[in-house]
Amino acid sequence: MKITENLSKEEKKMLNSMSLRSFAMHADRMGPSKFHASGFTFCMLPAINRFYKTTKDKEAALTRHVQWYNCTPHAENLILGIVASMEKEKSLRGDDFDDQSITAVKTSLMGPLSGIGDTFFQGILRVIAASIGIGLSMQGSIMGPILFLLIYNIPAVFLSFYLTYVGYSLGSTFIQRVYESGGMQILTKAASTLGLLMMGCMTAMNVKFKTTIALSIGKGKPIALQGYLDQLFKGLVPLLITVGCFYLLRKRVNINWVMLGIFILSIVLGLIGVV
Amino acid sequence: MLKAALIAMLVMLLCYAGSYLTGNSYIDRPIVIGAVTGLFLGNLKLGLTIGATLEAVFMGALNVGGVISSEPAIATVLAVTFAVTTNISQKAAVTLTIPIGVLAAFVLLALKNGVMIIFAPILDKFAATNNQKGLIFIHFLSWFIYYGIYAVMTFIGVYAGSSAISSLVKFIPQNLMAGLNTAGGLLPAVGFATLMKILWANKLAVFYLLGFVLTIYLNLPAVAIACIGIAIVVVMAFRDKDILDLKKKKSTMATKVNSNLDQKQQEEEDFFA
Repeated sequence: MKITENLSKEEKKMLNSMSLRSFAMHADRMGPSKFHASGFTFCMLPAINRFYKTTKDKEAALTRHVQWYNCTPHAENLILGIVASMEKEKSLRGDDFDDQSITAVKTSLMGPLSGIGDTFFQGILRVIAASIGIGLSMQGSIMGPILFLLIYNIPAVFLSFYLTYVGYSLGSTFIQRVYESGGMQILTKAASTLGLLMMGCMTAMNVKFKTTIALSIGKGKPIALQGYLDQLFKGLVPLLITVGCFYLLRKRVNINWVMLGIFILSIVLGLIGVV
Repeated sequence: MLKAALIAMLVMLLCYAGSYLTGNSYIDRPIVIGAVTGLFLGNLKLGLTIGATLEAVFMGALNVGGVISSEPAIATVLAVTFAVTTNISQKAAVTLTIPIGVLAAFVLLALKNGVMIIFAPILDKFAATNNQKGLIFIHFLSWFIYYGIYAVMTFIGVYAGSSAISSLVKFIPQNLMAGLNTAGGLLPAVGFATLMKILWANKLAVFYLLGFVLTIYLNLPAVAIACIGIAIVVVMAFRDKDILDLKKKKSTMATKVNSNLDQKQQEEEDFFA
């Protein structure tokens, strides 16, 4: 299905402008009562100015949008599009259209979209970009950071524009339909599989441990413990430590405590001469 | 040292503040900001390797849902600056600056939840009076103030901290240093664990093991593993879609059969009536 076919030239211009503005949406820092309220409103300005003619209507629309708002960058452009389509509806139908529903749709979409967005952008896309980038950077290649940025940002920029269009064209029933068709489940599972595979790769590449303990039996050469550990299972300690951290975090232990724990464990191991 | 401090401040403004004007493009992630700091300080290679190391450590410092656990950017800039300008080893620089990242996150949190709230009522007022220029102005003003403070903090950190850190490192005994190096090697585990928490499903856990084994025994590069992963995922997704379609078909068939039966019964009843 082509998503741009029913849009006028002015509407396309408006959607492009909103998508461009969305790159600076998260710039504001106005405390926990607002989060990115001004950012969202900033992105909505083209739509508000287009659909509402009187100052009174504009004031009402602006007041509606300067409420607490937060969502994953790029994924949130779907909300921008949907909300813009609802504002259009509101401007056409006037008082027949309950403006509460705009706020309701906006707030109810933030949570699920952040969930999907965080998983996709930070859990998958960034992990793949970072695992490739880290490998190259470690060898001292400038391609490390460059590839990292390209792999992450090319899909991100594309989706920013695409999702604004999708949201605007399909309106507020869209998300419901996707959920009901079951497509979302398949997508989430695929994304998690790829993510976990890359996590395993990252763990093996980046978590490092080496013990210097050597047992001397009789008069022979001392036997290094690390050799035995490697024969048993290569990278056993890093794997166990990572899974252990995961277990603790899952039990809702604060991440800073886990970090501190590793810090103290390492120093103790250093002091007693294990490493 | 003044020059290094100024460079660190500039990098913070350019990358850290800049990332929020470019759609959270991750130019503030350690792997990028480390390289940029290294480039400006004249030691790109050191910047690249420290950046890559810290990227792994701070893999999980994602600020998911607005919760800030650590500040990777400032830790990376300080680590690279200290490693280039003082004589401390790369590993020591990395390990010493990790707590700075956590500490910085607390300052940031106080700033975010305390000082910056003065903008909230102004925003409401501008919205109620349709003052769009004002709204745009404070949107970017709050950005400028917040990240400005951060850049100045980095400047002070480098200017005052360098000599303190290098003299501190001289006094650290060998054993403790080995411990610190081990910590640097193990800390990435926390980052990966955070991400695994998001991705985890018991049925999919074997793929984590697969990724680990492919890397540690076969030494495959990440690109190769990503490609293998994509192949697996595509096959799996198509199979899942087939199963879903079958299920749907089955349920529609079932309702059809049921309605057929109902009809037949109805006819029989009509016949006997």
